[in-house]
Amino acid sequence: MKAFFDMSGYGVYIWWAYGLTLGVMLANVWWGRRALRTARIEARRRLAMEEQR
Amino acid sequence: MKVAHAVAAAAAPAGTTFTVVSLLTGMIWGAPTWGTAFTWDPRIVFQVVMLLFFFGCLALRSAIDDQSRSDRATAVLAIVGSINVPIVHYSVVWWNSLHQPPTLMRLDKPAIHITMAWPLLTMLLGFTLYLVYIILTRTRAELLRRERGAWLREALATEGAA
Repeated sequence: MKAFFDMSGYGVYIWWAYGLTLGVMLANVWWGRRALRTARIEARRRLAMEEQR
Repeated sequence: MKVAHAVAAAAAPAGTTFTVVSLLTGMIWGAPTWGTAFTWDPRIVFQVVMLLFFFGCLALRSAIDDQSRSDRATAVLAIVGSINVPIVHYSVVWWNSLHQPPTLMRLDKPAIHITMAWPLLTMLLGFTLYLVYIILTRTRAELLRRERGAWLREALATEGAA
């Protein structure tokens, strides 16, 4: 197990690179979903205002 | 054409973050392998230029209030920036570089062992599908933000039903 994480002494570089990539991937999913949620709320509000007029 | 502008707006943030990832993970890899995290290597330099184009697209889009003017200005910058894509790819062929020449996309048979080629191709497919998902989610948000009237009502009704 230790050898797996150690990666012949390169573990610190490899796991940092994996961690960074995974972090950015998760952040992109979160940002995308948040953008969609906000757009839905704003679109409903805009539509309601249009219908009131 | 309206959808194309929405897709462009949706793709820019993902493109920017992944260009940052490629540069930073390259730096992490370069430190033990080349003995330096950054050097004035052609591929790295043109990748930085690519990042600047992405930043330019994001800044330009948010700087212009008028939607159609902002779309057109950003599209022109994106087209100019796309010239950089083949330069990034061929930079290792045209100039002396620390990076190895192409290993997969070349006329000869791939210069990579099969045990490494399969994981690489699997990851390539995985990341492509992931980016398609991100871009589609953001495009959906972008279209909801841009549209008005009957189309929007129908789209929201469909979303509500889903």
